[in-house]
Amino acid sequence: MSFETFQPWMPVLAFFATALLAPFLSGAGGRVPASFWALVPAASFFLFLSNAGPVWRGEIWRTSLPWAPSLGLSWDVWVSPVGLLLALLVTGIGTLVIFFAAAYLKGSDRIGRFLGFLFLFAGAMIGIAVTENLLVLFIFWELTSITSYLLIGHFHEKLESRKSALDALLITAGGGVAFLAGVIMMGEVAGTYVISELVSARELIQGHALYPAIFICVLLGAITKSAQFPFHFWLPSAMAAPAPVSAYLHSATMVKAGVFLIAILHPVLGETPLWHYSLMGFGAVTMSWGALVAMVQTDLKRLLAFSTVSALGTLMMLLGMENTLAVKAAMLFFIVHALYKGALFMVAGAIEKATGTREISQLRGLIRTFPLLGIGAVVAAFSMSGLPPFVGFIAKELLYEVKLETPPIGMILLVCGFVANAANVVVALKVGILPFLGVTDESALKNVKPKGIGFWIGPLVLGIGSFVFGVFPGAILGQPLEAMVQQVSATDFSVKLKLWHGFNLVLLLSALTVTCGVVLFLFRERLQALGEFLKSRLGWSGVTVFRAGLAGFLKGAGAITRAIQSGNITTYITVIFVVAMLMLTGAWLKSGYVPSLPETGPFRFDVFCLTVLLIGLSVMLVKATRRMTSILVLGCIGFAIAALFALYGAPDLAITQILVETLTLLLFALALYGLPGMNELATSGRGGFGSTVVALLVGTGFTLLTMKAFDVQISDAVALDLAAKSLPEAYGRNVVNVILVDFRALDTLGEITVLLIAALGVYAMLGGRATDHRLTMVQGRSPVLRASTKYIAPAMILFSIYLLLRGHNEAGGGFIGGLAAAMGAILVHLARTEMPLKLYRMTPGILMVAGLATAVLSGVPSLLQGDAYLTSVWGGEFSLPAVGKIKVGTPLFFDVGVYLVVAGVVLMLYRTMAEWQSARQDIVPRSN
Amino acid sequence: MEVFIAVMVGCLAACGTRMLLQRSLFRVLIGLALLAQAANVLVFTAAGLGRGDAAIIGPRAEMLPEGHPDPLAQALVLTAIVISFGVLAFCLVLLKRTHRRTGDEDVDALAHTES
Amino acid sequence: MEPVAITLPILIPMLLSLAAWLSRGSAVTSRWLLPAGMATLLGASVWLFLIINVAPGPIRVDFGGWEKPLGISFKADLFAAIMVVVAAVIGFAGSLFAVSEIGRTIWRKGYGTFYFLLLAGINGAFLTNDLFNLFVWFEVMLMASFAMLVLGRRKYVFEGATKYVVINMVSSFFFLSALGLLYGKTGQLNLDEVALRLANSGTDPVILSTAALFLMAFGIKAGVFPLYFWLPPAYPNTGFATAAVFGGLLTKVGVYALFRVFGGAFGFLSDVTGPLFLVVGALTMIAGVLGAASQFHIRRILSFHIVSQIGYIVLGLGLFTQGAFAAAIFYIVHHILVKTNLFLAAGAIAATGRSERLEKLGGLLKSAPLLAFLFLIPALSLGGIPPLSGFFAKFLLLREAFREDAYLYVAIALLVGVVTLFSMIKIWGEAFWKDSPRPGGTEPYRLMQVIPIAMLGAMTITIGFMVEPLFELSERAAAQLIQSNPMYVESTEE
Repeated sequence: MSFETFQPWMPVLAFFATALLAPFLSGAGGRVPASFWALVPAASFFLFLSNAGPVWRGEIWRTSLPWAPSLGLSWDVWVSPVGLLLALLVTGIGTLVIFFAAAYLKGSDRIGRFLGFLFLFAGAMIGIAVTENLLVLFIFWELTSITSYLLIGHFHEKLESRKSALDALLITAGGGVAFLAGVIMMGEVAGTYVISELVSARELIQGHALYPAIFICVLLGAITKSAQFPFHFWLPSAMAAPAPVSAYLHSATMVKAGVFLIAILHPVLGETPLWHYSLMGFGAVTMSWGALVAMVQTDLKRLLAFSTVSALGTLMMLLGMENTLAVKAAMLFFIVHALYKGALFMVAGAIEKATGTREISQLRGLIRTFPLLGIGAVVAAFSMSGLPPFVGFIAKELLYEVKLETPPIGMILLVCGFVANAANVVVALKVGILPFLGVTDESALKNVKPKGIGFWIGPLVLGIGSFVFGVFPGAILGQPLEAMVQQVSATDFSVKLKLWHGFNLVLLLSALTVTCGVVLFLFRERLQALGEFLKSRLGWSGVTVFRAGLAGFLKGAGAITRAIQSGNITTYITVIFVVAMLMLTGAWLKSGYVPSLPETGPFRFDVFCLTVLLIGLSVMLVKATRRMTSILVLGCIGFAIAALFALYGAPDLAITQILVETLTLLLFALALYGLPGMNELATSGRGGFGSTVVALLVGTGFTLLTMKAFDVQISDAVALDLAAKSLPEAYGRNVVNVILVDFRALDTLGEITVLLIAALGVYAMLGGRATDHRLTMVQGRSPVLRASTKYIAPAMILFSIYLLLRGHNEAGGGFIGGLAAAMGAILVHLARTEMPLKLYRMTPGILMVAGLATAVLSGVPSLLQGDAYLTSVWGGEFSLPAVGKIKVGTPLFFDVGVYLVVAGVVLMLYRTMAEWQSARQDIVPRSN
Repeated sequence: MEVFIAVMVGCLAACGTRMLLQRSLFRVLIGLALLAQAANVLVFTAAGLGRGDAAIIGPRAEMLPEGHPDPLAQALVLTAIVISFGVLAFCLVLLKRTHRRTGDEDVDALAHTES
Repeated sequence: MEPVAITLPILIPMLLSLAAWLSRGSAVTSRWLLPAGMATLLGASVWLFLIINVAPGPIRVDFGGWEKPLGISFKADLFAAIMVVVAAVIGFAGSLFAVSEIGRTIWRKGYGTFYFLLLAGINGAFLTNDLFNLFVWFEVMLMASFAMLVLGRRKYVFEGATKYVVINMVSSFFFLSALGLLYGKTGQLNLDEVALRLANSGTDPVILSTAALFLMAFGIKAGVFPLYFWLPPAYPNTGFATAAVFGGLLTKVGVYALFRVFGGAFGFLSDVTGPLFLVVGALTMIAGVLGAASQFHIRRILSFHIVSQIGYIVLGLGLFTQGAFAAAIFYIVHHILVKTNLFLAAGAIAATGRSERLEKLGGLLKSAPLLAFLFLIPALSLGGIPPLSGFFAKFLLLREAFREDAYLYVAIALLVGVVTLFSMIKIWGEAFWKDSPRPGGTEPYRLMQVIPIAMLGAMTITIGFMVEPLFELSERAAAQLIQSNPMYVESTEE
């Protein structure tokens, strides 16, 4: 089966599909055994393998699935040598890990979810391996970070698990965004996200001013993912995850993604001083530090974790070296490490499961209980410590050879490498040999559980792999490595792999390494003690620093937020007004505005008096200390403004203003009636100075604004056209009213809606609870008033209707009429509180609804005719006494609607508040 | 003339702001009302002040007389007045309820919602 | 048909609001009228969208048949149509949640009425092309939101409401003053007419002050730094359905107005406003995300993230290119869906875990695995995790920022993204992973609550995979939007 029939993206889909199915079929209550799902990776593995031939021969296979072209987003699938290697590792080791996990999590109710996340992860990893479009690769990249987070937190009841998972996520995701930035920049520079095209744009990118930024961003992504110093610490704490996860994600596959990324981007970004030195630097430091720390660990998984860090450092370092042989070494070590480290992690997991401990000091003589596991462990350990005839030996030889070839840096690296390898030997012995040797300490092994095939099959297979690869290196690995080296370093390079190089300096070094390692191993207790001592002296580690930093950040965030969001509304308003004034000042500075007196119209004494009065009143309002006074002053201000309107030819405005102010007064009185401290001093004001300054600023600002506003006189104001069309086309002489009910009826519609909501809102806040209370508040019921209202009320209603009808031609209209009607009803009610508050049997609610309905529907006929909404439809004309000619049309109905709504709203407000008042009086006896 | 009106608008705005910045919710409410008034007058005057005759076409006339005030501005202000009345009425009751809840109309007592 | 299609988004909710008021007495009708009505509105909105989508350009309707600029015009361009549809979707989702959340008494007090009128106000604000009409719709929207807020009947609702109301009235004050000045200067209210008048007005003091005041008014509504004070106290203290609809839509109406006015008529000021918006956007992102990081109450976290996400969108406005506008529109759509979904999820979480405080929550992964899964979708999307909608929204914005060499802002946006992911994960870790601190601390949640969450989640995922069509749509919308700025048209014609 070739890639033509079997497309390399199929495994990805297969894995994702499994991720969806497995939780249900193998989860709690599911019948399918977990190990069954190993079929999926196994099949994928063999499919990849069966198609490997041409790829090793250097034929890179490509196809592309469209996604979102305008984002440069299409799934460009390729099978490159390195990618194929990764895919094989992911699927191959994946198969074994599934077996292992099935045994490890036997009987756990979470195995279903676990499998789901695991397959999601594996699918994403294959995606990374076979994607050539960096943007899509990033998508899979982030997916692995998330799944890794979810898997590390498998035992999420433990606080430590949650913390470790969070650390890992923050570090990898943080690097991820940097990577994204790098990808976007590359895309902007080269105009593509496809690697092969980027390779051909290599000069362009490396010559671009952004190159350092691009490289650093990509580097950050890689070294966070691959746990390079100083970001390495998340990997050891990720050991909180179950062993299968450690074996799979955190040694064999995910942590290699960073290395993989660097490898495939080598032909794009590589071969620059920046590249060499940063990679070698990070690599060498990570390699040495990881190895040294690993040496002194006593916990099986932490031993392995730190040695993994060290190994990742080695890989980075090799890819950074200016030497094609280094690339070859890197690729070989890539394979070798996956083989032995995966095996050892499974061993550690099996031991932990069996004995319930990971402390090497308590583990002895397991070989009797786990012979096969032991064999796998020993082989892996030998390979790790670089002993022939295992492939690890070849890798290490190669490492030394490389370093010897590249003086002078090579020498420094050689030293680091030597230390690291020696340390590796120690770790290998501690993990792979020590637990199996010696006599069984019965006490420690009381609780050894029966071991299943799943536990040892993995290590054994991988061990065999290390052996076979070691014995026939050239035959198996020769051609693949050549292809990989060619891809990474973009140069032809023939690879010779032999187990035996004869006696030479390299062999000597290897021998020295092993001896050193063994010696160190023998002194391991001392070393561990030393490590403990240093750690206690140092007092901090990467994790503690990071978590402290995070906590500090959160503390700072809290402080800043409390400062901004103080909860004090006065502060908020102050800030808002200050900002507003700053904006205005900025605007004026920008426009070179010089305050100037507007050219004034004729001086009018009456207006002058009004303005003076208003100024006086408003100041008085600020000074007022009694609520009642403030209310009255506010009312007076309203009336004065009404007078101003009247003086400048706005009768409708004036009337409306007066009515509204009266109503406001009434409501205020009702609302504050019985509010404690009605007549006492209101709460003392803020320590005035600051707010006075702000107020003065605002005042000045608005004075200047208004002055400026007078300067402009425009000739083509839309108002002129309206005035001209008012009579001939809208049949109304009162232009203002015509505007309200015809030209801009929609505004009025919104306006009455606001009124209605206000009334209903008030009802919602107060009403519903006190509706059964009759109004007992108002006591003023003089017989005269009682008698007179019998006649006043109908008169008021008539008058209001008159106001409504004449509105189109004279001052008046629906709003004013409605207010008048409501006033009438209230008047009646004040006289006879025993009567429920209604307008001729119409409750306020009904009035409002009917009114709004009328107004809304009055616009519909035109809609049915195909015209715009609210287009006036006119009927005949009739005339009434005292009103004169009236043209019947939809605007009239609209105005009627306004009339009804306003009447209803006023009545509703009045009734609700009055009722509430009286209710409260019944509840709480009035103080003062 | 305009100068005085401008100063008056500024004064209204200033006093409104000053009231807004006080601890008594009741005064905050008054401040809002005052600001609304200031805005209305601003809109009214910004369109230019006429000579004083209304924007109503006389019984004989077919057109508004020269120098008539801007009817659109008046309509806008009218709408604004009514809207601010509605909102104000609502706020009034809100003030009562807040007062009822927190037993205090001091804005400093309203810090529970945060932190 | 256009007149009908463009009017329905306000006509339907207004009429239904009355029906809701009349039927508020009956237990069944009062509940189910809301989702039914919202479904109808959704249908109408989609119809409008389909019309606009195939139309050569924006479609204008002059109400009352008065030729522009005499009367009030609605202008339905793609941006508006998209927003109307999204608003209807949110309204529908919220109504489904409300059915199960809102109690009998609240319905009787007219919750449905206010809900419908809120949508009417929002749609009016999206569609209108007349500045004063915009003011009116804003007020309708505000009043309705006030009423819904105080219906929340929670402990501190009235405190939050007071701040919300007062600050928003201040914003209305700025808006009205700006209107007056602008009308006095140009004699026009129709945005396009205003734009024509302004195009050659240069830096006139009145115009610039008007711009400043508009900036204040819309800035407050949009909740940008340092004007967002009203937001965090208001949303966490009301009902969940209410908070979800508010959180999704209200601030976005302010943002929408910013785009309309400063991307269109005032576009000629872009050399002044552009940098300003960039700075404001950055500060908004930072302040919001810091606030979120420091909170341990789910809806407080979400409220602060509204702020931070607004920052991203404002950034798009600040870049002031067609591409940036497209990215911003894409971002708005994504963010509305995700944010509403998160608030709804918060509601389900609170119903299941009987608290909103992270320290009291726990064990929900065991007791409500479905909810856990449904929460992860919007949470990760907000955190910008691919291939969900949030990733593409951020990606488009960042790519545009790179093209404009705004590297500093890219860096900020990226870091803010990480912190965003952090606080989403914080919720996950505390509410779902941690063991419940209280024995038997969880209750089963109602299916009606999960349906809207699943619906919105499905949309988030779909956007992720169908990113191309939505982006192409946003680009066309952005083109129409930026062409409503005459200066831009001139500059391109030259």
